[in-house]
Amino acid sequence: MATGDEKSVMVVGVDDSEQSTYALEWTLDRFFAPYAPNYPFKLFIVHAKPNAVSAVGLAGPGTAEVVPYVDADLKHTAAKVVEKAKAICQSKSVHGAVIEVFEGDARNILCEVVDKHHASILVVGSHGYGAIKRAVLGSTSDYCAHHAHCSVMIVKKPKIKG
Amino acid sequence: MAEDQATTAMETSAVEKQPETTREAEAPSLTTKRMVVAIDESDSSFYALQWVIDHFSNLLLTTQAAEAESGMLTVVHVQSPFHHFAAFPAGPGGATVYASSTMIESVRKAQQETSAALLSRALQMCRAKQIRTETLVLEGEAKEMICEAVEQMHVDLLVVGSRGLGKIKRAFLGSVSDYCAHHAHCPILIVKPPKEMMTK
Repeated sequence: MATGDEKSVMVVGVDDSEQSTYALEWTLDRFFAPYAPNYPFKLFIVHAKPNAVSAVGLAGPGTAEVVPYVDADLKHTAAKVVEKAKAICQSKSVHGAVIEVFEGDARNILCEVVDKHHASILVVGSHGYGAIKRAVLGSTSDYCAHHAHCSVMIVKKPKIKG
Repeated sequence: MAEDQATTAMETSAVEKQPETTREAEAPSLTTKRMVVAIDESDSSFYALQWVIDHFSNLLLTTQAAEAESGMLTVVHVQSPFHHFAAFPAGPGGATVYASSTMIESVRKAQQETSAALLSRALQMCRAKQIRTETLVLEGEAKEMICEAVEQMHVDLLVVGSRGLGKIKRAFLGSVSDYCAHHAHCPILIVKPPKEMMTK
């Protein structure tokens, strides 16, 4: 474990979106795959599973019945995300990545994980929501860019122009 | 024998040409990785440059073996534009005074000297770790020029410091880094200065 401490830590936040997948693949391509087996960073892949109750909100009567279904769905999604992350690591022959799932709000979780692992760098994809194209970052990446206690890399899926 | 040597020579040059075509054809190929670091007079931008050098040096080293794949670090400095005319408090007459050409010259020279000093400081930092570096000076509005440069240069990663109001709460990004985070068409790395109290 002593040798693990010497390496800088990179945390990659993932959800089940295409942008996230792209961000993870891009990161592995650039910073891990070419350097096997001496990766320059220790990699943690983190998924934040939204809390079922907060996802449903306080909608009124009947909410309590919906929660178990929402919860099952969220667990299912989280499992899918973990599987996909594992598959991506396998396909790039990147070993030693630790995949973690936490429950709660993505922005808080990512910032906490950064602190927990003393990460040097946090990588997130960017949904770029908003009617104004590319003028609005997804709120999670924006929050992390402002609040994480380490450098933040926002990976955007490029629009490849011909 | 001579023919064999000629064919091998041709093969190697053909291989060298290939990376260029693959770069145009498809984005995720591992050809020339270009990292752009934007600097200005602020300490945080130099901290960002140093951070990149420290953490990514193995991606950027100029080793012969990694010739085809080693990256290029481009250090960019954007000069704020100098307006050629200024409304000096006019004497009698009240017309806008156009700065004389000698004044323009001297301001331009001063700007160039500042840029040169910044860039040579940056180059020194890079050369210390033998990183393949080039420098670029642009003129205009920093945030816009950086994003434009990113578009034109097929940049893999843009690196900016985050000056902001760091001492108050690290919840603010400087306006350039914030603008670039939203508008640059490539991945962006925002390097934050360390907490004054935290020792790494």
